[in-house]
Amino acid sequence: MIPTHWFLILSAILFTIGVCGVLTRRNGITIFMCIELMVNAVNLTFVAYARQFHQIHGLLFVFFVMAIAAAEAAVGLAIFISLFHHRHTIDVDEANLMRW
Amino acid sequence: MISFIIFFFFAAVAVIFAAMVVLHRNPVVGALSLVASFFALAVMYVLLEAPFLAALQVIVYAGAIMVLFLFVIMLLNLQHQAEPHTRPVQQFLGYTSSAAFGLALIYYLAKYGVTKLPEGPFVSDARTVGIKMFEAYIFPFEMVSILLLAAIVGALLLSGRTGAAPPVTGENKL
Repeated sequence: MIPTHWFLILSAILFTIGVCGVLTRRNGITIFMCIELMVNAVNLTFVAYARQFHQIHGLLFVFFVMAIAAAEAAVGLAIFISLFHHRHTIDVDEANLMRW
Repeated sequence: MISFIIFFFFAAVAVIFAAMVVLHRNPVVGALSLVASFFALAVMYVLLEAPFLAALQVIVYAGAIMVLFLFVIMLLNLQHQAEPHTRPVQQFLGYTSSAAFGLALIYYLAKYGVTKLPEGPFVSDARTVGIKMFEAYIFPFEMVSILLLAAIVGALLLSGRTGAAPPVTGENKL
């Protein structure tokens, strides 16, 4: 049986990669994919602790996180499509005003 | 022993493909790498005795959400649009601060994390999860369904050309 803290360290590495992508990239959709990566790292932590403490609540939280990530992806990508129609770019540096 | 080999192999796969998402300049390659990384995470869920969640990870994340990402990338035809290079100061600050963050995270996990193995098997099949969800979490479940409906309506409203605001012209620009 694999110890829980190895999964936690893997999750920390994946979360750090996601943070790095959000901070350094300028393509909006890539930033969004890095956010999905961070969400998945947190999901891995939830599942690892659920097995550690024999609590099924952790798994149920992963369900809700997945559903909310799906909603977030739909709305966020719609925002990027709308931004692309207005500006013909999804560079987030070009979209620093909350108006068109 | 075999589970350790599987863990290390798929942990390496997950980390390498996650790094590819950050480092590769083509967003289509990034999205497909993220799908591979999610498959490796599904293997992690199987190792953590949650096979139902692993199936859900493959179906919902790799199947639905990432296909949505790929559709949007291809719809906007982004792979021909070269991403401008990040400013060096932003790159430097981003890499150093995320490295410091990651080191701090791993340090505190190693210091305060749980290191003893859990005892006994953990039953987390679809039956157990479903009973718990529809007994204790029925209200959040309904809330999530309303949230998804709101997200569908919002996505339609935002991405439709007819519902969007008029494009920038000389007059309505302050």
